[in-house]
This record gives sequence, structure tokens and C-alpha cells, in this order.
Amino acid sequence: MADKPIAHQPPRVADKRILTGVHFMNGDEAIAEGAIAAGCTFFAAYPITPQSEIAERMARRLPQVGGVFIQMEDELGAMAAVIGAAWGGVKAMTATSGPGFSLMMENIGLAIMTETPCVVVDVQRGAPSTGLPTLVGQGDMMQARWGSHGHYEIVALSPASPQEAFDLTVKAFALAERFRAPVLIMTDEVVGHMYERVEIPGEVPMAPRRKPEAPPGEFPPYQPEEDLVPPMACAGDGYRIHVTGLTHDERGYPAMDPEAHDKLVRRLCEKITRFRDEFTWWEESMTEDAEVLVVSYGISARVALGGVELARERGIKAGLFRLITIWPFPDEILRRLAERVGGIVVVEINLGQIYREVERASGGRIPMRGVFHAGGRIHTPEEVLAGIEEVLRCRS
Amino acid sequence: MEKSVVFAGFGGQGILLAGKVLARAGMNEGFEVTWLPSYGPEMRGGTANCTVIVADRPIGSPVVDSPDALVAMNFPSLDKFEPRVVEGGTIVVNSSLVKRKVRRSDVTAIPVPTNEIAAELGNPRVVNMVALGALVRALGIVPLEAIETAMAEELRGRSRGKLVAVNREALRRGFGEAGKYLRDR
Repeated sequence: MADKPIAHQPPRVADKRILTGVHFMNGDEAIAEGAIAAGCTFFAAYPITPQSEIAERMARRLPQVGGVFIQMEDELGAMAAVIGAAWGGVKAMTATSGPGFSLMMENIGLAIMTETPCVVVDVQRGAPSTGLPTLVGQGDMMQARWGSHGHYEIVALSPASPQEAFDLTVKAFALAERFRAPVLIMTDEVVGHMYERVEIPGEVPMAPRRKPEAPPGEFPPYQPEEDLVPPMACAGDGYRIHVTGLTHDERGYPAMDPEAHDKLVRRLCEKITRFRDEFTWWEESMTEDAEVLVVSYGISARVALGGVELARERGIKAGLFRLITIWPFPDEILRRLAERVGGIVVVEINLGQIYREVERASGGRIPMRGVFHAGGRIHTPEEVLAGIEEVLRCRS
Repeated sequence: MEKSVVFAGFGGQGILLAGKVLARAGMNEGFEVTWLPSYGPEMRGGTANCTVIVADRPIGSPVVDSPDALVAMNFPSLDKFEPRVVEGGTIVVNSSLVKRKVRRSDVTAIPVPTNEIAAELGNPRVVNMVALGALVRALGIVPLEAIETAMAEELRGRSRGKLVAVNREALRRGFGEAGKYLRDR
């Protein structure tokens, strides 16, 4: 027969994109499923504990939805491949842990400068260096903020459970398209490796890419719309575009003058900060009457809630503020809360990264204590309670 | 209600899978569950443990200082975790490898010769399910049938469906073994 198909049968994409139902799943797998549900069809990465389960899942699942998985030679290549894929018109993601995150930093800068939508996941472990490869850490929070070069704004989200890992990954893809920028998922080994109930909904929205309406020849590829984000013409769309990490003008051509640079960098920052209310997410527990505010994020926030409950049992009015959006930091919300409380405790698995942000946001006017650990384990609720009691003592 | 179990032993004894089966069964029964592994950087061997929490309300920390039950599959695991088990808790100990008794008198000790039972069943790798069967009876929060279903689900996902029968038998043997040490169940 002459019409015997040569190519493999394309998979029935709609059947497999969203695995609707209840699953027993860890955070890594939930991130992979969140990405695929959100329409991700390209994943490039290099294996690293505790991220490998994301790569494993993507390697198995992406072919089922007509996507591509590439194990790259290293994390520099992984991030570069993700940028290329995004310019090829697809939704793309990579995932790593601290050491690989460092290697991605140069190209994250390129993604910011070229306004490339993509998602980067960091499953944090004990660091610096090889550190504690299989154990938990939260020491990359500032690397996420300032690890690349130059001045920039970045969106970073931090899930506290596998369910939230799924949900935030879906949102990360939407934000990446919304702002034409890389979006970071800053999770940790415990959320990554912990299995819990994960419910995947029947419908998951796929954020559209904003395409140019002007015909080829009349389209300046970096001319922002009212919200400061330019539409994106991708390879194959029929436009001639120049994608460069050099400072460029609206046409995309290099513009080697300080004014063009200042204008561009300010826009790249402002397109995110001006609309931060759209994606500043947090969760408060027992804060209405709180005298001590405990601030935490990721897995540490769950332990911190245990500490707050212990304090309440002892008659101490404590409350929890759980950051979900880490960057841009919710300065204003914390400043307002800080005006109502008598002390703040920050719980994190590093020696005080988000602590400094909280101190800055609260203006340093009230006593603060950090409940820190350099990595390798999560805190105990008793340690959080001790921090709460300590901050109360220095208040009185 | 919140019950926590630590499963501990050598890498390769199926510790992590045993915990996963319990947690999955708990989830299927409508409980909140967490399963958290802990292991070193070794590819094989070394020590491994996991903590399972089954609760009827949202779970905060997936790690506990004092578990309600311990499954100690080797000697170092018993040494390390025996002192941490809560008063009135349960310790299932692999008596094939651990040649000492449980020292605590305020816990229920259930010695199970898992290696011998697994050998009788013709598959030395099912030691984990023998131990899990014993634990499930002592714990009394998830029925054995739910454990068997969850075990089959876990194995199906790894295309080891043909191993379901022997693992089910292992669970039942362990469950029966625990009856020698428990009056009420």
C-alpha cells in the first residue's frame, strides 16, 4: 500500500494533557503535570537531585502530548534551549536545583532582556555547592532575586504542598505569557519529594501568547502596548525579527546609548512592578488579633503554622503570614501588618534572606527574631514557638 | 486523629514503598496523608527512612519528633528510632535481622521474622509487605483490604502487576503475625 503512514501517529493530545482526577503525587510530579496541563510542550534540563523526578516525569509524559523532552549537556544549555523553544512558539520550562540554578543565571538574564516567556523551577537543597544533595534547603531565595546580572524584576512563586505546586505552575505559565518574562517556581526538597493528595481539575486554562496584529514590515517587535508588554512574533509567524541580548530599540536593533538602555531596563522592570497586584498572593492564619506575626514560605510555613498553634494553646496571640509570591516582595502588605503587631518572627531554611526583606518592609520599628537553619532538615513547631516567645520577651 | 509512622532500614529493603502503600491507602480512605522520604546520596545501600502521617485534618509538618509507630527493618534503625516512639506506641521490628529485643516496656513490640516469611513465600523482596501487614493490624486505622488495593495500585504503576499476588500474601502473613501480640484486634 502506497499510503502506509511513515511517521508515528500523533498522540491524542486532548486526552492526555490534563490528568483530571485525584492523584497520590509528589511536588516534583505535580509541577510536571501542572506544566503539561498549562500547555508546556518543551522541557530541557539536566538531572539533579531533588529535581530529577520532574525531568523523569516530563521525559515520559511530553511525548504523550506531542511535546519534546531534551536532556541537555548542562544547565547552561538547558536554559538556552528553553529560550530557543519559546521563540519557536511553544511554552517551555526547565527545572534544576541550586548549583544548576547558578549555571542558568546568565541565560535567565538573556530571557529577561529578550522578553522570553518561560518557567524555571528551582527545587532547593542544602547548599552552597554539592552541600546536602538529598536534603532540604531554602538558600536560593536571594539568588532568585539577584542571581543574574544587571538590574531587573522577576516573578517568583513558592508552593507549600504538591497541590499548590501544581496550581502555581499553571499560574506561572500564565504570568510568563502575561509579562513576556521568565517566571520562577522556588520550591524545596521536601515539597518536591513529599507525596500528598493532588487533585487535578477538569479544565486548565492555556494562557495565549500575545501575537502582533500589524503586518510584517510594519511591526516593531519591541514596541510595547499600553501595559508595557510588546506582542511577540515567533519563528515561523512570518515576521523578520532580531533577538538580541544587546540593549535594543523598539525595532530590536542594537542601540548603544545610555538613554535607550535606561528606557529599556526601566520598562522591563515596570511592566512587572506596575501590575504586581495581579499576582501578589499570600495566606494569613490567625492574624486578625495577632500580637506576634510569623512570616514564612514553602515547607517552612507549614511547620510555622504548627508553632503558631502551639503559641495559641499557651494563650499567645500569634498569627502566620505565608508568602506565596516571593518576588516582587509584598512590601506594602507586610508594612501594614507590621503596624498592627508587636513582634515578627521569620522562619526559613537559610540564615536570614527573606528576614532582611521583612525587616526592610517593616521599617525595623518592631522587635524581630529569625528562626533559621542552614539546611538539611525542616524546623520543628517547638523551635518556632521558642522564637515567638523570645520576640515577646524582648518586647516587654 | 493524627497518626505518624516511621519506616526505617537499609536501602533496598523496600522501606519507602511500604510507607507509600500506607499513605496511599489512607488517602483512598479519605484521610489527609503525607509521605516524606529521607535518604543519603548513595545510589544503593545506605540507610533510608520515610515518615507517613495519616490524619483527619490538614497536616502541618510532614516530619515528627515522636512517631506513634516505628517499623525497624534493621539494627541501626531500632537503635536510632526506639527512644523516639511515643509512650503507648508500637514498634514492629524485623526479628530476622535485629537480634535484640525492644528495650522499651511502655510500647507494644511486635517482632516479625520478615526474612523467613518472605523466603517461605518464595520472594525475599516482600519483607517490606510482611512488616507493613503487621503494622497495619497494630495501627488499626486503615483496613487490610485498603492496603492491598493501594499496594496493587503502587505496583501497577511500575508494571510489576505480576507481583501483586505474592505481595498480598506477604501483607496477610504479616497481619496474622501481629495477632500474636495484640489482644483486641
